[in-house]
Amino acid sequence: MTDVDHSSWHKVTVRIPFASEKHAVIAKQVIEVDKELQPQAVVRTIDVEGDELVATFTTLTVRLARLTLNAFLENVDLVIRTIHEFGEEAERGPQRNAL
Amino acid sequence: MPGKPRKRSPLKLPEKPYIALGLEGSANKLGAGVVKHSPDGSTTVLSNVRHTYITPPGEGFLPRDTAQHHRQWAMSVIKDSLQKAGISLHEIDCICYTKGPGMGAPLTSVALVARTLSLLYHKPLVGVNHCVGHIEMGRQITGAQNPVVLYVSGGNTQVIAYSQQCYRIFGETLDIAVGNCLDRFARVINLPNDPSPGYNIEQEAKKGKRLLPLPYTTKGMDVSLSGILTSTEAYTLDKRFRPDCLAAEGEDVITPQDLCFSLQETVFAMLVEITERAMAHIGSKEVLIVGGVGCNERLQEMMGVMAGERGGQVFATDERFCIDNGIMIAQAGLLSYRMGFQTPITKSTCTQRFRTDEVRVAWRA
Repeated sequence: MTDVDHSSWHKVTVRIPFASEKHAVIAKQVIEVDKELQPQAVVRTIDVEGDELVATFTTLTVRLARLTLNAFLENVDLVIRTIHEFGEEAERGPQRNAL
Repeated sequence: MPGKPRKRSPLKLPEKPYIALGLEGSANKLGAGVVKHSPDGSTTVLSNVRHTYITPPGEGFLPRDTAQHHRQWAMSVIKDSLQKAGISLHEIDCICYTKGPGMGAPLTSVALVARTLSLLYHKPLVGVNHCVGHIEMGRQITGAQNPVVLYVSGGNTQVIAYSQQCYRIFGETLDIAVGNCLDRFARVINLPNDPSPGYNIEQEAKKGKRLLPLPYTTKGMDVSLSGILTSTEAYTLDKRFRPDCLAAEGEDVITPQDLCFSLQETVFAMLVEITERAMAHIGSKEVLIVGGVGCNERLQEMMGVMAGERGGQVFATDERFCIDNGIMIAQAGLLSYRMGFQTPITKSTCTQRFRTDEVRVAWRA
């Protein structure tokens, strides 16, 4: 991609704390697989800092910032609920002899 | 092909039981199912749980709301399927999910859950083609050996036959799927979407009395359905149309039931024709009908008449397996997995267009 002047674009940063760094890394690995639908108008970075998931969205328009952030939060919410539902059992390991 | 010796299947008997979880969400049905392949070669459905996003009458389902429905129900559907199967995720060998084809946002919602579970429990992911899932489940449930497959649903209409590790598409719709055609007409006449618009059209069609002329559009081995839909909708603007079915005896009227009946008879006859062409081409005597529209008993009946005339038979499953479900994804996924196929998480995307013949059917000779 050629160098685009992002100085007039809109930038949103979101920090989401997790129970542990391990869970934050899981969230990062799960969400970053899907590319942004409009890469020429939305630039996304996802990192883990400590036990926080940090995402920044640099977008061409305010509307895109709203849409992208909304979709991202919906996805993070789904991942968090999945970890909440299954995380403890996953951590405990197999409890009884397998079938 | 008749007369040729059966080739040895590359799929060996498993040395231990294999268990897979399958997650499906390409349209408005969210499904989770657990399947087991035992060392004696048998396949057992341990659980098959589904929740459908049903819209009010007259409305279809849109990607955004469907994805929201899947996100909302994913946890309870998956937990329910594990509980009914009596296993925990630690005991499964792989997590299978629908890679495509289908609607983008709903597919991705389910993939997110699959990826998370894969990382939490350290289980491999297997991306599955939705169409191949239908075919493999149909084969497993009915025991059909090498049928011509008619795959008919809201999103797909294809005539498929297996040859040399590929499910080859012999004929298909040139525009919309037959289920889409039926569902959209159901919306025009305001039929409820509960349990599904197609089921309600089938019931209404049984009360139809007139067969109205509609364009019959087979195009060689393919069909075209959007023109028929437009023509059927045009009848609802005809001055003889009576939406409330009130008419004097002997009056020349068209009721919604007549239109349902005429639409079904026409499109099903077209599907039977293109299936017959494929059967004649290959010399096959078996027809397997899969996909949501395969539940329709009139279609099964018409196909049965054609197959009977050719000395063959029709195989079909009931609504547990016809309609989109998680167990078919588990089945096709586990067959792939046993042949060494896996999807690394970085490649576990979803795609709206995924042709049936893009899959290498490694588990068949």
